[in-house]
Amino acid sequence: MITTPSVDQLLEGVMLAIEDEIVPSISNPKAHATAQMIQSVLQGVRQMLPVLDAQLAEEHNDMIRTLRETAESLGDAAGDAADRVRERAATFGGRDELPVPVDREVALASYEELGHAIEASFRDLDELLRDGVESAAAAQDVVRAHLMPRYLRDVASIKVHEGFVGRS
Amino acid sequence: MDGGLGERLAATLARWWPDADGIGVHDLAPIPGGFSRETFRFDATVQTEGAEERHALILRKDPPDSVAILHTSREVEHDLIERVRASTTVPVTESLGAEMDRSVFGEAAMILRRAGGSPTTTDLFYGGPDADQADDVARHLCESLVELHGTGIDTLDPDGALADPRGVGIDPGSWQSYMESTFQYYLDGYERINREPGICILLDAFLTLRRHPPRPLPLAVIHGDFNPANFLYGDGRVTALIDWENARIGDPREDLGWMMMMDDLSHTQVMQHPVDEGGFLAYYNRLTGLDITPEELGYFILFGTSNIAIPVNEAIQRRVDGESREFLHLYLVQSSVPALPGIAQLLQYPGAPS
Repeated sequence: MITTPSVDQLLEGVMLAIEDEIVPSISNPKAHATAQMIQSVLQGVRQMLPVLDAQLAEEHNDMIRTLRETAESLGDAAGDAADRVRERAATFGGRDELPVPVDREVALASYEELGHAIEASFRDLDELLRDGVESAAAAQDVVRAHLMPRYLRDVASIKVHEGFVGRS
Repeated sequence: MDGGLGERLAATLARWWPDADGIGVHDLAPIPGGFSRETFRFDATVQTEGAEERHALILRKDPPDSVAILHTSREVEHDLIERVRASTTVPVTESLGAEMDRSVFGEAAMILRRAGGSPTTTDLFYGGPDADQADDVARHLCESLVELHGTGIDTLDPDGALADPRGVGIDPGSWQSYMESTFQYYLDGYERINREPGICILLDAFLTLRRHPPRPLPLAVIHGDFNPANFLYGDGRVTALIDWENARIGDPREDLGWMMMMDDLSHTQVMQHPVDEGGFLAYYNRLTGLDITPEELGYFILFGTSNIAIPVNEAIQRRVDGESREFLHLYLVQSSVPALPGIAQLLQYPGAPS
């Protein structure tokens, strides 16, 4: 594979070309705002790429732990929804952790499956909460506590500058 | 240079003003900013019986369907603005008409008078050049909102067009049916936008809102995008409430919650004024007797965020599916991520920033 120029250098080149070659010729305000948005997205991608594999593996592995602990938090809660949470702990929660560096394709597929398992947990925990199962609140907190640092990290990775292009 | 837009504007105005002997369009220019509509400013000169009048106007035009985020009708918006003008003292500028025939402007459009006053509401706060007007402007803004919410739904929406203006199955027959049908809209919408399980915090939000509804309040016609960027002011008064495209029947706390959130994001201080009344919410409560709490506004911040999250993510989904090539909809992915910790905070996620 070609490593020079790097992906980061290529993206930087696109950004510079937009800045130097395209923006000076733009007179339409919408096109000007779009050029700014393109540069902003490219900068976000440049910041995301170096941490992507490590974050993918870390979040993948933490979802496995979360699915196990969500079921543990339910204690002896009964019912179909609780059984589904336990089933996920037994299947997804028993998966092998991903090593770093990862096989991107395998990791992404497994990551998506685990993500949908986390998502489905919200539906079942909602059902349990509506049925008055108290331990479901603690189980829900396990899932939320897993997601919180992910969102904070996403913001740190993707945020380029304050504000929103086009909103004055 | 304007692709014939000036001529089409003149022809439309000539139809709406049949007594005019001649109409000219001048200084036509796009107004940058705002994602939901294409907006142009222009002046129209109207000759009638030897006299000439100049009118400062705005053209608000829908984007193409695949690009649009909010699918609402300019005709409904026009009708509401005119009823607000006729039935209340809420400051709005005249809407001259809606042109729903797409062959005229390419998409449905409406023409309004340009509002006087300053749109730079940040000048009112943090010691800005108009800080001396902040209390009076906020007072008038609050009184206007109270009047809007207090005007009968039958008066402002006699034909029911605002019951479900997006056509997504909302039933405002009662507060309970409004909330239940809105939760269903959110949950059904989540299935359509579920491109990425990482946004499951939205699912959590929708389910949590449904589990913990607040006390019922009478429904009202709400502005739907009541925020510091959507009013103009001058001489201590609001000169116009603008951008009524998301107006609908809803819970009045939606407008207050949205203002509270956007006030924070916009680095303005609308909610802190009028100071002598203890702030915007306290004044609203004094005028209405509703005793709305900050906790209720927190609920409706989440409710309102959900309301916009669905159409925004539907637009992203259409872009991902290749239905449009609009770069904005890719950019929305990046620009919406910073909202997620705020949603987590409202849901009281462990470890959420205070």
